[in-house]
Parts: sequence; structure tokens; C-alpha cells
Amino acid sequence: MINKTLSNVVLALIVFIWVVPFVALVTTSLRSETASKTSGFWTAYTPTELGHRFSTHDKGSVENVTLIEGNIFERLNMDKESFRVSGEVQSILFKGRIPDPDNPGKTKLIRKLVPAGEVMDVRGGDFVFQPNGDFTWRFEEASTPKPKKMDVFIDQNPVFGSDAYEQVLLNDKNVPNALISSFIVTIPATIIPITIAAFAAYAFAWMQFPGRDWLFVIVVSLMVVPTQLAFLPVLQGFSGIASWATALNQWLTDCELNDTCQVASKSFAGLWVTHTAFGLPLAIYLLRNYIVGLPKELLQSARIDGASHLQIFTKIIVPLSVPALASFSIFQFLWVWNDLIVALYIGPNNASDLVFPILLQKQLGTFKDQLHLLNASAVISMIVPVIVFLSMQRYFIRGLLAGSVKGG
Amino acid sequence: MTMKLKTLGGAAFAAVASAGLASADVCDTPSKLGDLGSFEGEVITIAGSMLGTDEEFLTNTASCFEKATGAKIQYSGSRDFAALIVADLRSNNAPNIAIFPQPGLAGDMAKEGHLVPLGDDLAKWMAANYGAGQSWVDLGTYSDANGKEDFYGFAFKMDLKSLVWYSPEQFEDNGYDIPSTMEELIALSDQMVADGNTPWCIGIESGNATGWTATDWMEDLMLRTATPETYDRWVSNDLPFNSAEVVNAMNVFGQFSRNDDYVAGGAASVATTSFGDAPKGLFTSPPSCMMHRQASFISGFFPNKGAELANGEADFFYFPPYASADLGNPVLGAGTLWTMTKDSPATRAFFQFMTEASAHEAWMSQGVFLTARKGANLDAYATEALRKQGEILTNATTFRFDASDLMPGAIGAGAFWSEMTAFANGQDAQTTADNIQAAWDAIK
Repeated sequence: MINKTLSNVVLALIVFIWVVPFVALVTTSLRSETASKTSGFWTAYTPTELGHRFSTHDKGSVENVTLIEGNIFERLNMDKESFRVSGEVQSILFKGRIPDPDNPGKTKLIRKLVPAGEVMDVRGGDFVFQPNGDFTWRFEEASTPKPKKMDVFIDQNPVFGSDAYEQVLLNDKNVPNALISSFIVTIPATIIPITIAAFAAYAFAWMQFPGRDWLFVIVVSLMVVPTQLAFLPVLQGFSGIASWATALNQWLTDCELNDTCQVASKSFAGLWVTHTAFGLPLAIYLLRNYIVGLPKELLQSARIDGASHLQIFTKIIVPLSVPALASFSIFQFLWVWNDLIVALYIGPNNASDLVFPILLQKQLGTFKDQLHLLNASAVISMIVPVIVFLSMQRYFIRGLLAGSVKGG
Repeated sequence: MTMKLKTLGGAAFAAVASAGLASADVCDTPSKLGDLGSFEGEVITIAGSMLGTDEEFLTNTASCFEKATGAKIQYSGSRDFAALIVADLRSNNAPNIAIFPQPGLAGDMAKEGHLVPLGDDLAKWMAANYGAGQSWVDLGTYSDANGKEDFYGFAFKMDLKSLVWYSPEQFEDNGYDIPSTMEELIALSDQMVADGNTPWCIGIESGNATGWTATDWMEDLMLRTATPETYDRWVSNDLPFNSAEVVNAMNVFGQFSRNDDYVAGGAASVATTSFGDAPKGLFTSPPSCMMHRQASFISGFFPNKGAELANGEADFFYFPPYASADLGNPVLGAGTLWTMTKDSPATRAFFQFMTEASAHEAWMSQGVFLTARKGANLDAYATEALRKQGEILTNATTFRFDASDLMPGAIGAGAFWSEMTAFANGQDAQTTADNIQAAWDAIK
């Protein structure tokens, strides 16, 4: 009983730790720029005091008056279609010069917060405001005051909007470009290794050939090779292939030696090959362990009926291995989708072909003070793996267990 | 109250940032662009570490070259530039141009034979047309694998360190004048003390980089107490760190930083005050100090994130040299170095483009950018503050790069920082210098 409670508490804690950053991301992406910059995401759901700046009236809108009336919220919301400010006005930061008591004849600058209802002397007039935003500015003699910009603190009601998403998806072509690039990279980089691995796994599990076990040991031990170690030789290889391909291209198409016939060494194809190479050992290992556990009798009777290896593979092994194939494709998809470092070194580096993680990394520099935009792109990049995971989740758990728990 | 002011500062900054810059045609510059040739359809690839607005300004400026020649420029910027460029160069994937933020790595790449010499003509041009031109040429001159020296790095886009920030309002109220020599600066500091003011705000705390502000002070003072040649020998450790010249400069720094009357909060606070918080003392009421020596970037750390510069609440003057020392007008700073990593006629034309006053003006007009190019029209600067900084750069007779960036990492980003922090905490100058030299000997 205690054990169960404890594990529930621990589970709840883990879920909490994982969910908080996600809530923070989504919340921030739905807030206004000012709000996301000046207060934490947890303040978004309750009235929060925020600073704003408004100007008392439009230039030239008043002439020789003794009273100017208006509403702070109306002034603030004039050009706003979204994130309209509402709530309760707390105070105005008053900045002005008053005669200095210590130095006669001189003035000194004072800054103080003036609460609602208190009269302050602004440009020779009496300025008073109410918590609901109404303000009056009275002059003893008719005058034409210039508009005054004032800093005001408002206990602001929660307000959300989708502006950040509109901006990154519609106004900024980088995000849609990066989404497309990421798909171009991820889909082949998932399908190619899983196809090769399925064939290899079948061979390792059910075909007899000399050195099979040793070969399998080598493949499995390749899993420990760190990706970073291989960047330089892999890049050198690609650059060699690219210059060879350029020469071939020149010979075939007779193009002049300029950039039109230059074959790029950093390309999507390079990423496919690299991701395939680094994904294969784990894929072969996972699938082989699953396939080796399939009932022997099934395969034997198929062979007695005269089925070839290829027929056994396509007609029996593949349909029975769907959970393992699905779980590995989730692995590979997530890994490639979230990969930054391979894409950074091997992938194309012109602005329109960047994959999503690189774009996010670049935005860290660009949008470091536009958190709402950064978070909106981050949420967009998260949606795809979440959809993939949820739609294949039921295979995922079965497939994971398949290799480890062999009941019979 | 302070909390509220902070929040409001953020809000005001948000308004400034989102207002952005009017996108007039940046290529429409006071100076006319010369003939660069025609490179229709050719692609020039550029790799660098500039991101965000810098990247935007770079591509805008490059678009002037595209318009003039028909070539296409592909810029790829990454915060991992230093790692990526090494891999790209070693695997024959070089871009046409690589923009190095510091000379150290560029020198290493030249030694490995990955950079193409830009030629003596360009070096001569730079010596003649940049403020402190020869200093810039030296900065971009490295030796190749055979030890042969060549000019590789074209300096473009600079930063300035030798600045003293102050509040004009306070100077006016107290009747202080801008000092034009170091003697006047020290006299002014003493005057401030006599008036009951505190002259300096100094803070060198910066997390695990604590001490770098003190190294900047040291470098500026080295340039004002010793010849530029001595400075160069100091950087390469031909002049030992514990020699008399260096210890002297450190003692001069001590006259400022270890003087309880001079420093807001007393000398003991120097090592514990964050470099970013230090300038805020200029703007408190009453101000806790009158002056702050820091690089051009510091305005972003002001309470209103630099809006003070535009509305006259803050200003700066050149950290002056000693009139008695006769060392000219030395300037400490940094600059990005543009190197050619893959030769092509179009790339050469791009370097030609960067010599044009028009190219400098195109970038000047967009925002934060300084150039030492004489003859670039100073009216092109986007703000008055940038213009003043630009003038300091072009009037410099000696330019030197941040020494700690040039020294080996274990010193420039290690012992130099930590020992200067110990110095600020009261360790004597000779011991400090001996310790740094010992650390340097250990890595030789």
C-alpha cells in the first residue's frame, strides 16, 4: 500500500517535471512580447502588475483647453488588435523637476510612484487618474499642452493571442522552410536504415553463413562509436565524392567550371547516408533480437512448403515484425528530427535548407529577447514528434519489450 | 520600488527594440561604389559567427555587392562557427570567405595552410586608409606552415574598448569638464573626491570569467604607459609578465581600483560587483559614481538598455593617454577578420568591395557598426554615439587588439583573469605578475 502511494507520488513528480517546461513553452508563445519579456510564464494566468507607457493625447488634437479627459486603456489599446490591455491601474511613475530644498535656486529630479486619485503636477496642470483608467488633466488657464508620455503600472488581466505563431509561420519564411527541410531529411533517414536493417536482421537471425556471429558482434560493437569522432573523415569523404561528381557532371553536360555544375558536398543526401550509417547498428540489433524470437515452426513449415528466403521475409517476417519496425522508426525519427550536430556539420548550410534544430539554435541568437517567437517555433517543432509518437505509441511499448523479455 | 523600475525598463526597451529601423535602401550611400566587374551567376559563400541583427546588416550590405556585380552571396552564420570552420577547412569544404571573430584561430588556420594570402596591395591599402592602419595590417598578418608571413585577415566591423562613460547631467551640475589627458583625468578624479563625490564604478565579477574587466583596464593602461611594441612583446610573452613595465601598468590600475576614495563601495567591492551592474551606479539617485570605463557594448547594460545614450542621460569620452608619455592616441578594441578560404575572382572582387567607402557606409547606416576606414562619410552612422566612437577609431594612431584574447587560453582566459581578481582583492602587483608568468612558463 505504502509502496503504491510512493510510486504514485514519484510518478506524479516525474510527470510534473516533464510537463512544466512544456507548459512554459506553450504559455510564453501565446503571450505578448512585453509580457513574455517582463514577467514569468506562471504569472500569465492571474492578474499581474506590468509596466506600460501611454501618451495622454494625440499631437495637435487639443488647443486652448482647460481640461483634457481620456482613458488610459483606450490610449494603450489604440493600435492594438490583439493583447488588448485591461485591468486596474495601480500607479503612474512620475518624473519631474522640483525646487531643490538643499540648493536654493536649483532644481532636482524626482521619480516617484503616484497612486490613483492623487493629484500630480504635470506641465503646470493637475493630473489625476482613476483605477478604471479614466484620467483628467486640468489647467487653470486655457493652454495647448504637448502630449505627455507616462509610465503606468497596471494590474493586468490575463490575455493570450496567437500572434507569435502567425508571425513565425506566415511572415517569416524560415520556419516553413525549416519544417520542409526537416521532413526531407527525416523521412528518408528513417526509411532507409529500417529497410536495410530488416534484411540484415533476418539474415543474422535465420540464415546460416560462415562468420555470422562474429559479424554480428562487430555490428553491435559499432554502436559505441561516437558520432562526433567521425565528422571529419565523413566530411572529407563527401567532399571527395562531390569533386568527383562535379568532374563527371562537367564531362557529361559540358558545363563551364562555375557554380552551376558544382555538386555540393554538404547536402541532404549526405545527411541521409550519415544518419543511416549511425542508425544501422542499433536497428539491426533491435530487429534481430525480435526476429530471432519468432516461432521456429512457422519458418520451418514455410521452408518445407518451398518458400524462398525472400518470400519468407516479405510474407512472414515483415508482417510479424510490425511492432519492432514501428518502435525503431519512432526511435530513428525522433533522433533525426531532433538532431542538431550532424546537420550542423554534414548538412547544407545555406539559409533556406536549414533543418529545424539549427533554425532554433540560430533563433536563440536572433530572438533572445523575443521569447514569444522563439517559443512558438519550438512548439511547432515539437508537434511533429508528438504526433508521430502518439500515433505509433501502442507498437512502441510492445516493440521495446520484445527484445528484452523473451517468454517463449 | 526598484523592482518596479526594472520591470518598466524592460517594457521601455521592448518598445525600442520592436520599433526597429526604417529599411531605407542601404546601398544608397553618400560615397559612390566603384566598378567591381561583373560576376553574373557566381556564388560567394561566407561563413561567420554573426547572427540576428548583425547577420541581417551583413546580408543587406552584401546585397549592394550583389546588385553591382550580379554575383550571389550565401552567408551561413552559426554560434558554433569556431568548431565548424575548422572541420570545413580540414575536409576541403571551405567557404569562399570565413569571418574570424578573433585573430588566434585565423592564425592557426593560416599555419595549416587553409587561408589564401590577400596580397600586398590590399595590405598597403589598409595601412594607408585605416586609422592606425599598420596595426590592423599586423593583426591580419600570420605566418604559414613554412614560417613565411603574409597578409590574410581584412579587418571589417570593429568594437571599441577605450571608453569612459559618464552622465552629462552630473558633469554639468558639478561643473566638471571632459579630460583630454590622463593627467587631467586623475586631477578630475581627485577633484571629485574633494567635492564629496565618488569618481569610479568598477566591477570585475563575471561568473567563471571573473577578472576580464580588470584585464581590459590593464591592457588600456599598458598602451598608455608603454610603447605599442612593448605591448606586442607582452602579448607574445617575449616580455615576461613580471617585468617592470607590466608591473608598473598594474600599479597604475591599482591607483584606481585599490583606492577606497576612488571606487564606489570601496576597493573591496571591485571583485564582487558584477561588470554588468557596475555602470548602473552612474544612474542611481544620488549617483554612486561619476565615471565608468568599459567597452562600447556596455550601454546595453544600462538601466534603460542604452536608451540613455539617445536621450542624453549618458555619454562617453575617450580614455585619454598621458600627455607626458607621448605615445599618441592608442585605442584598444576588437574587430572581425575576413579571410579568403577559397579563391575565386568574384571573391577577390568582394574584398575590393570591402575597401570601398560605400560598403562601410552601407553598414554604418543600419546600426551597431564601427569602422576605422578613413574617408567613409561619418554622417552615415546611424546614431550620434556611434559616430563619436567611429571618430575615436579613425583618429587612433595606434590600435591594439584585446591582449587577453591573443594570449593562450590558459593565460588570457585563465591565470590573467584569476590573478587580476586576486590583485583586486589586495594581492600585491609583483606577486600577481609572478604568478601569471609562472602559469605561462608551465604551458610552454
